[in-house]
Amino acid sequence: MELTVNKVLDAKGLACPMPIVKTKKEMNTLEPGQVMEIQATDKGSTADIKAWAESTGQQYLGTVTEGETLKHYLRKASSEEEKTEIKHPDVISLDDLLKQIEGNEKVTVLDVREPAEYAFGHIPGAINIPLGELEQRFEELKNSEDVHIICRTGKRSDFAAQKLTEKGLKNIRNVIPGMKDWKGPIETTTK
Amino acid sequence: MKVAIIAANGGMFDAYKVFNIATAAAATDAEVGIFFTFEGLNLIHKEAHKNLPMPAGTEHFQEGFKKANFPPIEELVSMASEMGVKMIACQLTMDVMSLEKEEFVEGIDVGGAVTFLTFAKDADVTLTF
Repeated sequence: MELTVNKVLDAKGLACPMPIVKTKKEMNTLEPGQVMEIQATDKGSTADIKAWAESTGQQYLGTVTEGETLKHYLRKASSEEEKTEIKHPDVISLDDLLKQIEGNEKVTVLDVREPAEYAFGHIPGAINIPLGELEQRFEELKNSEDVHIICRTGKRSDFAAQKLTEKGLKNIRNVIPGMKDWKGPIETTTK
Repeated sequence: MKVAIIAANGGMFDAYKVFNIATAAAATDAEVGIFFTFEGLNLIHKEAHKNLPMPAGTEHFQEGFKKANFPPIEELVSMASEMGVKMIACQLTMDVMSLEKEEFVEGIDVGGAVTFLTFAKDADVTLTF
């Protein structure tokens, strides 16, 4: 499986603690919100990367095993996303979205997180257009109505909601807070 | 996080224990200090740390180290230094063994027990190897 990422770090063949040391170095070159794939063969690296992300405040997305190689996905923390201030007025709660989905209403869910975040868990049927690509790809949505936009915390989806409204789309709703608190069904596409 | 380590032994295994934990901690944004005392001084001695002894009877692990692609101790030391790990050589031991600061790798400090204690007094993790 190939996932679109901003950077790939090859740490194959390296023993502990080198995958972590290299990850730390490379992480410094990333912009907040960017995603890195770390390829390692050290079997302890899964637990280590997870623990490292937790203690340094980065976002651990998941790990995919391909033969001997472990591919770990990390997203650099973005303090901007943790702010709760949102501007788009039309919002919907996770519970209400879940009710609509369970009630078989026809809802379009647009997930504006990065492809790697999406791959490790999204609402079944959600469309993935990362916020950064929305400007070029918004026309894919022009026949959709009642678009519900979701991200991890509600911040990127807020930007996306404003942008799509600007582009003339109607009934755009921001789902808040976002996938970090989603308790409904989840689909993964990492296989 | 603040990590204080005492390195008091001078074998190959000791070196890996000390520098693996130290570099991993530094990579996790911890402030790390190591106090090298007695045989632990070998780990930062310019010549000695290039050829540290394996514990008796474990020479056959040499192969395993190679297979696991462990970085040489020299590399771990310079990495630790690059990442801001504070390394303190014990003055008393240096006097006893007639060693000069110039015989150690670049970037180390020399100090006594209180230097280390002052660093370690508010550490979150304290380890002795």
